[in-house]
Amino acid sequence: MLQALVSSACRLLNHLSRTLTGERLPPPELLASPAPKTYRRLARVRVTDQVCRTMFEEFGAHRRSERGDEEIGWVLLGVREESDALVLATLPAGANRSAGVAHVRFNSNGQALGSRIVRQWDRRLTLVGVVHTHPGSLRHPSEGDYQGDSLWVGQLRGGDGIFGIGTADAKGLNGTLVAHQSEQHRQTLGELNFSWYALAHGDKRYRKLPLEVTLGPDLAKPLHPVWDVVETHAEALDCLCRQQAGMSFDIVAGVEGPALAAQMPLADKGSFLRIVLERDEVRYFVQQEGLLSAVDPDADTVNRGVYLILAELANLKNNALAAP
Amino acid sequence: MDFRPLNDTERRNLISALRGNADNNRAILMDQRDTTFAGTSEEVTDDEVISAIKSVPCHYGSL
Repeated sequence: MLQALVSSACRLLNHLSRTLTGERLPPPELLASPAPKTYRRLARVRVTDQVCRTMFEEFGAHRRSERGDEEIGWVLLGVREESDALVLATLPAGANRSAGVAHVRFNSNGQALGSRIVRQWDRRLTLVGVVHTHPGSLRHPSEGDYQGDSLWVGQLRGGDGIFGIGTADAKGLNGTLVAHQSEQHRQTLGELNFSWYALAHGDKRYRKLPLEVTLGPDLAKPLHPVWDVVETHAEALDCLCRQQAGMSFDIVAGVEGPALAAQMPLADKGSFLRIVLERDEVRYFVQQEGLLSAVDPDADTVNRGVYLILAELANLKNNALAAP
Repeated sequence: MDFRPLNDTERRNLISALRGNADNNRAILMDQRDTTFAGTSEEVTDDEVISAIKSVPCHYGSL
């Protein structure tokens, strides 16, 4: 009988609750749907103007450099929507790439750390594609490209990837100030072209991908001036990111230009360890009890330096606790 | 506290979010005022991105 009474009371409360709160709820169609996206084949790629500028500028600068006859490229990070993708960041191939006149393999260690840094600002960013250049006038991915890409695209969101090909074979009739789109999937500035394609898992061939340029940033652009530092310390910093929670990165003014700064919270509120990395120097700073101190752990790698400092800080704390 | 049962749409969304969390490690968002379910985010994990970066194949050109 008690059970029946409780059950009736619950039903009554339930009904009352629905009556009282039902009016406050928006209709179901107005609730944002949290359902996972249903990815379809990419119908277009949207690229921000700053990403376009990055690629044209760096391709041009690369061609004028000592290694200008090699292939070059970028990994593209962006947001994958159901039937298109928005490209928001370029991660360079890096000086430690393996490249020649007919191939390029990116330095993935640098790009992996770069992705961690860029994605601290937007966790929706994912790998949406790859751009690389060809030395001649082949404005289409090669047969060799297909061998690797066709096996790789399956792991991307929607099983579909974006592939850009850069060439320097345009007539340059339009000058170098304003780019133009000679075809839906191609953008040209001066003698430089970028042609865009997509390849889905299981496809026998690439398909032309219409390009749309929109106003927006290259979120990785601030990292490009310190990319040599990123590459040099990539493995050590990546190791720290995996082992220590709360690592964050920033670009700061260094002694000789921009520097990469990494920061790690310490146990006490408001205290942290800060590492400033430049081409030839790594400096360590500890902020504790409102005091900022420079520390020299005399370490050959960043992660070793960090752990030596953490060990020393733990030792100091233990000694302070043991003191009468 | 609101102990109102979920309506069909809310229930479907919550189940979908729980499945996304379990299968793909997607975050479940919570309303900071009353801790109710506020949807899912489109966050992508570091492992997913870095795994794709580390396996980018070599690309070849043709003279």
